[in-house]
Amino acid sequence: MTSEVFPQSRVAGRLSEPRPALVEPAFDGSPRVVNRHAVALVREEWHVVDRWWTEEPVRRRYFEVVLESGQNTIVFRDEERGSWFIQRGA
Amino acid sequence: MIACISIAGFELRAAMYSRPRLALEPAALAPVEGTEPRLGPVTAAAEAAGVQPGMRLGEALAMCPSLTLVDQDPAAAEQEWEAIVRRLEDAGFAVEPAALGCAYFETGGVERLYKGLEGALRRALEAVGPTWDARVGAADRRFAALTAASVARPGQILVVSDEQTPAFLAPHPLTLLPLEPDRRTELNELGVRTVGGLAALPDASVAERLGGDGRRAHGLARGGSRRRVRGRRQPAEIVETLEFPEAVGNELTLRRAFGALLEQLLARPERAGRFIRKVAIAATLAGGGSWRRTVTLRDATAEQDRLKAALGSKLAELPSPVLELRLELVELTASRGQQLELVEAQGATVQSHLSEGLRQVRASAGSGSVCTVLEVAPWSRIPESRALLVPRDE
Repeated sequence: MTSEVFPQSRVAGRLSEPRPALVEPAFDGSPRVVNRHAVALVREEWHVVDRWWTEEPVRRRYFEVVLESGQNTIVFRDEERGSWFIQRGA
Repeated sequence: MIACISIAGFELRAAMYSRPRLALEPAALAPVEGTEPRLGPVTAAAEAAGVQPGMRLGEALAMCPSLTLVDQDPAAAEQEWEAIVRRLEDAGFAVEPAALGCAYFETGGVERLYKGLEGALRRALEAVGPTWDARVGAADRRFAALTAASVARPGQILVVSDEQTPAFLAPHPLTLLPLEPDRRTELNELGVRTVGGLAALPDASVAERLGGDGRRAHGLARGGSRRRVRGRRQPAEIVETLEFPEAVGNELTLRRAFGALLEQLLARPERAGRFIRKVAIAATLAGGGSWRRTVTLRDATAEQDRLKAALGSKLAELPSPVLELRLELVELTASRGQQLELVEAQGATVQSHLSEGLRQVRASAGSGSVCTVLEVAPWSRIPESRALLVPRDE
C-alpha cells in the first residue's frame, strides 16, 4: 500500500543579482572603462552602507554611467571585497 | 486482536536522528520557546544521571551540568513518523496513528499471511526498523494493548489475552491513565495508587468524586473499550518547497512567499481539481531545528483566500528566521464536487491564453525559464534583497 507523494522543491534566486564587471577606475575612483567600453559620462554617484551590525556588512560605492555606445549602466565598487560589479535595477 | 506499537521518546529520537552519538550521552528534548521550561523525553544516560522527563530545566541542569539540550524538530519527527506508518501500511497493516510514536492496528486480517499473531507482530517490528527500539503490545482492548506496549522492553512483543487483562492492568501505577495530576494526587491521598485500585471502586462513586475525566480513567482501568481500529485514509501529499538565499524573518516577506507557494501548490496537476481538507506549513529554521503547523479545514476548499486566512496567521508563530518554507497538502477530498460554470468567469480567456503562452516558453526554453517575481523587502537599500525570482513549472 503506497500513498501518492509529489514533492517539488524550488530554489529562489535573487532579482538584480550583481555580476562581476571589468572596470578601469580613474584617479578619483570613478569608472573610466566598463567591460571594455569607455565611459562617456558619470551621471550619478552614491554610497550604500548597510548591515554593518552583521558578519556580512555591505559597503558599496555606486555609479550610474553612460557608455560611449549610449548604454546606461549601473556599476559599484564593493569596498569590503575590493572588486567591481555591474547591477541592473539598482 | 488490537496491537499497539510504541516508540518511547519518539520526538527526541527523531530530533537526534542525524546525530546518533547523542543517544549515548545525557541529552534531553529542549522545551518549546514561550512555554513552561520543562524537559521533554530524555536519554538513558540522562536518566541514569537523575534527569527525568518533565523536570524543570534549571533543576535538570543543576543535577547534570553536562546535559545536552536537543532542539525540537517537529518537521523531522512528522516525516520520520510518516515513513514508519507507511512501512507498516506497506506490510499490510491498516494503521490508526494515535500520536507521534504510537499507533494501533488490527492483526486479524494479516495473521494468516504472517503465520499467526506473533509472526504478524514480528513483521510490524521489522517494518518499523531496529533503530527505533519499538515495542509492541497486543490485546482485545486498546488500553490493554497500549499498556502492554508501554511496559514491554524495546523489541519485545507482549500479548495479553482478554481473561488476563484485569490481572495484567491491576498492578500498574495510575500514571498510565490520562488523569490530571490533581486527580492523581487526590486518588493517592485516598489510598488508590494502582490501576487495579481504581478499577475496584464503584462506578457511581468515581463519577461523583472525580467527574468526567475520572469516569473515563475508571473505564480504562477496567480494560477500556473494544472499539475496532480504523485505518487512516491514504494521505496525498503534494508538497511545494521554497529555499531562500538567506534567512528571512520578516513576516510580510514570509506571507508573500507563502502566497506564491500556495498559488503554485493549487496549480499542481496532481491535485486534479480536488479540494483541500488538511494542509500543513513547515519551515527550516536558521538556528537549526524546524517548525510545523497542521490545519484541518472545517469545509474543504481550494479557494486561495480562505487557505491564506487559515494558514497565514500561523506564520506569526515562527520562533526564528527561516531558511526554507514548505507547504504540504496532506489530505484532499475524494472527488471534485465542483459545479460547472454556466458563464465563463471574467478574464478566463485571457488567463488561458497567458497560460498557453507560458507553457510554450517553458517548452522551448526549458524548466525554470518562467519565474514569478516575489517582492520580499522593497524597502531594502540593497537592490538584490528587494525581490526573489521563484521558478514556476506548473
